[in-house]
Amino acid sequence: MNAIEIHQLKYRYHDGTEALRGLSFTIAPGECVALLGPNGSGKSTLLQHLNGILPEKLSDDGAVRIAGEAITSPNLAAIRRQVGLVFQDPDDQLFCPTVEEDVAFGPQQLGLSAAQVATRVQTALAQVGLTGFEHRSTHHLSHGEKRRVCLAGVLACEPAVLVLDEPTSDLDPRGRREFKAVLRRLPATKLIATHDLELAVELCPRAIILDQGRLIADGRTVELLADEALMLAHGLERPHILDHLHPHDHHS
Amino acid sequence: MNFNLLTHQHRHTGSVIHHLPAGLKLGVALILIVGNVCFPLAWQAWFLGVAILLILVAALSRISPWFLLKRILALSPLVLGVAAVNAFQTTGQGHWLGVAERSLLCLLTVTLVSNTTPFSGILRVLQSVRVPNLLITTIALMHRYLFVLAEEAGRMHRARASRTFSHTRRFQWHTLSSVVSQLFIRASERAERVYDAMCARGWK
Repeated sequence: MNAIEIHQLKYRYHDGTEALRGLSFTIAPGECVALLGPNGSGKSTLLQHLNGILPEKLSDDGAVRIAGEAITSPNLAAIRRQVGLVFQDPDDQLFCPTVEEDVAFGPQQLGLSAAQVATRVQTALAQVGLTGFEHRSTHHLSHGEKRRVCLAGVLACEPAVLVLDEPTSDLDPRGRREFKAVLRRLPATKLIATHDLELAVELCPRAIILDQGRLIADGRTVELLADEALMLAHGLERPHILDHLHPHDHHS
Repeated sequence: MNFNLLTHQHRHTGSVIHHLPAGLKLGVALILIVGNVCFPLAWQAWFLGVAILLILVAALSRISPWFLLKRILALSPLVLGVAAVNAFQTTGQGHWLGVAERSLLCLLTVTLVSNTTPFSGILRVLQSVRVPNLLITTIALMHRYLFVLAEEAGRMHRARASRTFSHTRRFQWHTLSSVVSQLFIRASERAERVYDAMCARGWK
């Protein structure tokens, strides 16, 4: 059974902008897939569909299925338990005063006991390398730390699918390196929308390219990114990392 | 524009007062405020006692007097406004000084508590006394995003200042109004994104 199944997904915003124009693809359990495309290509809109934030009125057309289940109002809570969504701006996601409270938010919503919540918080913070940050104010963290707390908040819900929107934007090289190392260690199915093509090459064996709400290409990341004409036609560019990649180095 | 008034001191010091339980500090603050408001002005011994206690707490908490003064000055227009209204009332003449005295003591109490107690501690006390969860969530979100919006306003102010070449008062008011309206729109959009992020983690 596929972890994510998208079939003819269409979405139009209230102002008439057609954001998604009939997308179809599947992602198998455990896969790590990069979602690439220029600004406005529909990446963030697609990600919000995977967690049931969009569309505003859920239908049972089965355009999005998570582990074989269509996203409908009755099973929305169960779907959100399975799909963890990390937003682009950490300040949108960190709404609690302290790190501990923010990471505990999801497990508390799941109705876990205080002891279970505490265990989940400790485990999630350890996973992102922020043990000891429990009582820090979310407002006074560095951008990289905020990103990792966001990820911890999602990991604490123990999702089977992780969906990340621009996880390395605004991070300095060290922050990017640390965040990539954290992502690499996570066994969950991952779909990562990003402009960071090095991250795509390093972490994701497979990439999907979107442009103007349409699926343009779906295949091996190194092969897609090496196609300069394809890259330029869709607001992307061939990353330099491909020049330094040994043919047997990359996961395939 | 100076947004330093939103900063708190409790993160930087670790005095005896900072380590007292949040519930105790809030309880004492509540008693002092109720006393300041309810007791007659003739009970000057009470007011003097409160003033001495607060000065002692301020000294023990190692909060800079300059910081306290700035914070109280920022809030004093409200206090002075209340006192001024009282001064112009026929029955209240002569009592405006008393109103100012009560209000300043209350302000100093609140300022000391808020700067010696982590905000999460205050929220936990509210939870333990069974304040409705919705109200606590609203207060928590307001506190969290006050800083984010203040930073956003600061960034917009700097961007505006960097391209402002005319210093006429009319122009300044015009640009300030556009910054405020932009801030309102951004706050509204952010509120939607925050709500989405809460829903994504199971908020019901």
